[in-house]
Amino acid sequence: MRSTTVHTIAFLASLLPLGAALDFAHEVVPLLEKHCVECHGGDESKGGLSMNTRELVLEADVLEPGNPDISLMIEVLTAEDPDDRMPPPGKKKAPLSSAEIDVLRRWIAADLPWEEGFTFAKDRYEPPLKPRKVKLPAGPKGANPIDLIVAKHFKANDIKFQGAADDSTFLRRVSEDLIGLPPSPDLVAMISPGKPLDRAAVVDRLLADKQGYAEHWMTFWNDLLRNDYGGTGFITGGRQQVTSWLYPALVENKPFDQFVRDLVAPTKESRGFIDGITWRGEVNASQTTQIQFSQNVSQVFLGINMKCASCHDSFIDRWTLKEAYGLAAIYSETPLELERCDKPTGEMAVAAWLFPELGQVDAKKPRDERLKQLADLMTHPENGRMQRTIVNRLWAQLMGRGIVHPVDAMNTAPWNEDLLDFLANHLVESGYDVKAVLRLITTSRTYQSRADIREDENAPYVFQGPVRKRMTAEQFLDSIRSVTGVWAKADGAAFKDGGAGGQLNVVMKAHGLKKWDDRPIRTAFGKRDSLQAALGRPNRDQVVTSRPDSVTTLEAINLSNGPELAGLIRDGAVKIGTAGDPKDLIPKVFRASVSREPTTEEMAISLSMIGEKPSTEDIEDFLWSVFMLPEFHYIN
Amino acid sequence: MNPDWYNEALPEQTRRNFLRALGASTAATFLAGAPRSMAAERKSIHPAATADSCILLWMAGGMAAPETFDPKAYLPYEVGTPVEKIISTFPAIDTAVDNIKICQGLENIAGVMDRATLIRSHFQQDLGSILHSRHQYHWHTGYVPPQTVAAPHIGAWMAKVLGGRNEVMPAFINIGQRLEGVGESEELKAFTTGGFFGSEFGPMNLPFPELASQAVKPPGGMSPDRFAKRYKALEGLLKNSPKSHELSDYHQESMLRSMDNAHRLLGSKEREAFDLSTEKKEVFDEYNTGKFGQGCLLARRLVENGARFVEVTTEYVPFLNWDTHENGHTTAENMKKEIDRPIARLIKDLEERGMLDRTLVIIASEFSRDMMIEGVPGSTAKDQSRAATDVLKEMKHYGLHRHFTGGSSVVMFGGGMKKGFLYGSTANERPCLAVENPVSIEDLHATIFTAMGISPKTEYDIESRPFYATKDGVGKAVQGVFA
Repeated sequence: MRSTTVHTIAFLASLLPLGAALDFAHEVVPLLEKHCVECHGGDESKGGLSMNTRELVLEADVLEPGNPDISLMIEVLTAEDPDDRMPPPGKKKAPLSSAEIDVLRRWIAADLPWEEGFTFAKDRYEPPLKPRKVKLPAGPKGANPIDLIVAKHFKANDIKFQGAADDSTFLRRVSEDLIGLPPSPDLVAMISPGKPLDRAAVVDRLLADKQGYAEHWMTFWNDLLRNDYGGTGFITGGRQQVTSWLYPALVENKPFDQFVRDLVAPTKESRGFIDGITWRGEVNASQTTQIQFSQNVSQVFLGINMKCASCHDSFIDRWTLKEAYGLAAIYSETPLELERCDKPTGEMAVAAWLFPELGQVDAKKPRDERLKQLADLMTHPENGRMQRTIVNRLWAQLMGRGIVHPVDAMNTAPWNEDLLDFLANHLVESGYDVKAVLRLITTSRTYQSRADIREDENAPYVFQGPVRKRMTAEQFLDSIRSVTGVWAKADGAAFKDGGAGGQLNVVMKAHGLKKWDDRPIRTAFGKRDSLQAALGRPNRDQVVTSRPDSVTTLEAINLSNGPELAGLIRDGAVKIGTAGDPKDLIPKVFRASVSREPTTEEMAISLSMIGEKPSTEDIEDFLWSVFMLPEFHYIN
Repeated sequence: MNPDWYNEALPEQTRRNFLRALGASTAATFLAGAPRSMAAERKSIHPAATADSCILLWMAGGMAAPETFDPKAYLPYEVGTPVEKIISTFPAIDTAVDNIKICQGLENIAGVMDRATLIRSHFQQDLGSILHSRHQYHWHTGYVPPQTVAAPHIGAWMAKVLGGRNEVMPAFINIGQRLEGVGESEELKAFTTGGFFGSEFGPMNLPFPELASQAVKPPGGMSPDRFAKRYKALEGLLKNSPKSHELSDYHQESMLRSMDNAHRLLGSKEREAFDLSTEKKEVFDEYNTGKFGQGCLLARRLVENGARFVEVTTEYVPFLNWDTHENGHTTAENMKKEIDRPIARLIKDLEERGMLDRTLVIIASEFSRDMMIEGVPGSTAKDQSRAATDVLKEMKHYGLHRHFTGGSSVVMFGGGMKKGFLYGSTANERPCLAVENPVSIEDLHATIFTAMGISPKTEYDIESRPFYATKDGVGKAVQGVFA
């Protein structure tokens, strides 16, 4: 009976005039809120329909703007059979009244009027900007604060502590994480049976290795700052390196506030970051150097995605076109007109930064002044956003996943606010000492515990311990080279001064070396070849803040038969030589590669592979097999 | 070499799945297993495909339409001729279709034009300055560089949305372009990529067709036996690893899955498709006009064996091949010798095998050329001719030496396109702009994607933003060219 009524009413409704004026905010929104957005709004988009924005409604193809009579939406709302009707029977919601249907019909007929900027999307996470004091949970005296916070998190989530990783696992993990190489024999010698390893002493030794530390973290910062020694843009002189500034900054562990200041209000040597890439010819409005500045500065230091807002007001967070251009105008030498989706708006940008509660740049000052003001605001002691963004990146590097994930979306709730804020405070209180943060993390039981073995990658993430990390291309190749002792040769360009190349010249200067001699050349200082590309080293046209975490088929083919890796292994086998006793060689390779002794079975398999008197080829095959173990590819 | 070396060397029971050998995984994880990607697809409604595979024959460097598929008034070489009078330097010839004429030097392709749709009204965006690699980036990804995220190549879109046609053959294969040691190589690499889809969807690069078999063979100098022994040893170590209890972690599983996939390709019969030396000599000889011709043969073999998207390029090297900054007539004559026979043979071979109807073969280039105009009239692009002159004085002056973005030709065979069909036209007098039914890159891509069964509006979320198969999802397929 009821369905017949609905049908009749729908029929009658179609005869009503459609022209009556419509108030979107007061007529349409409450109605959609009442009946639809529970399943088709916010984070939900059942059946592929999200009504968060007008664009999304249109894209879903559920209605025909201007023509309610042929709109699927009206059809399903007025369907006779309750099984076919929306809202669906399971929701136990009443069907829409004829008056409500009429509103929607008029809304469709009027071509879907929408309030500019209105969205059903949930408000994004945005904590107070200021740093927040954290009250640490009670615990034993001298306990690492990270462990106290994590213990509380474990208790609240009913998670059992994974237990400590064994010493050799810890040693490999911390050595790869801090200096990007497997543990040296010296470090391994710190393990003595029956005596607990002094893990803090290991951390201190690694952090004191200034060159190893700087060489490893070059990879991370090169990705973040889009810095490379060759690549697109150099061809037309539209791009500069920051290598000669960056490497020494890492060697001296430059306080992070100064580090940021140097990049935002740069010297000649550090200006390559904010200058971006000048492309030959015309580029779209969202890729001018000014807008690149706006995007890169906000992404790298604040975890803000300004890419949306540099074309139109963002749909995903609160940033607007005006704010994106305001930031760009700080950098711009010339007046900057706002362009919406590549079309001039007639409105001129006024230099401004994003969090005026901390102060503002003076748009009337010359550019260099403005940049200095921006640098001051960025490193303002009360700019918690900057502090949280960097400590979150550091945590993600060491623990395999950010406290906020993804690391570039700092408008996402962290899994633990206390932990994030505590680390941010620690950075500031230590005098912006990045190594102090790394030390705090790596000396925690939390970092030193066994890796979280997730069965289901799609299950909601709950922190249970460090996540296994895939080695970067640079780490993988350096680790192979440190096992075999055969290091890369550099081309002459690496030693020259200026332009593309010159990267090893920078290293020599930083350490006061006259000649390079036979010092190992780390992969991070070479150009990206096809093997590295396959292993995920990006071309640094854009800012990159995370590397791929899984091995693809094309990479596997490359690892199986690619000439680069084959050559590397062949050179290694030649260097190792065939003279030694396999019974010594096999454990030596295992120790150097995966920081442990081979088991009896592994010893037997390896021996049967290479025999008593191995040839160079046998040793190559053995090395390859060990290097292909997931245990080698991942930092466990 | 015996193509079955691998199977002989490795008895069935050892060619087991690494994962299965470990006994540490659930069944679900080794069933092909979709790789993870940073991008998530939003729901798209895809059209019904009219083609299963796509071969893009890329005329790298800017193929002049008036010298190839869009003949205009022809003026022979004569010292003293004002260059502004010259539009075409080749006379027109008849084709298998009454109303379609193309340029001299393409006699073999003329014979198969009755299987083709010829679009003469393709045009490209004026980018203010000509850098081939930027225009090629635009053509291959649909987006003008730079972009805020790495844009995927159209082949990567096909690999991502459609996947491979079988479980061993890489979905996206790129033939003939060296990416090292050539000019603008960084710029070429920037679009020869899976982009934000990740390297799983990027191209398998085969710069030298004759050496393609090496890509699926053991490393140089390694015997099949030894290669098999390696895998067996790895399997043994995996099985006995004291760490295998930790192998349920998806990272490690994905690695082993990829090793398995690689292992499967390297041991498959499809692997033989990469080896041109197994082709009949007379067939090889007919294709073999050089690297491009060999690439066409390789493309046919790969598509026969399940490749989804194959690009074969005449190769972009600054100032070489179609990049005629001087001596344009002679160079175009040579280029036509390189492409004419193999393209015609490719079409006939596909037809003979009953594959042409489901294989879309496209001839395209980043832009056309003109004797006088850089870019389009009014462009700020600077003159790059190396043979600038007002009147012809020597042979090197004779040819189309400037880059023209206002109208170019695209030929499409098979894959659901009309046969013997002409679409659009350019003006007969300079500027030879696309005047009738102009087709943008977005619309051309929409046409290609639609034929392949991919909605031009297909969108993926990357960094919380939508990214579309055609820019902003606006590309509209040219309906008129579908049969």
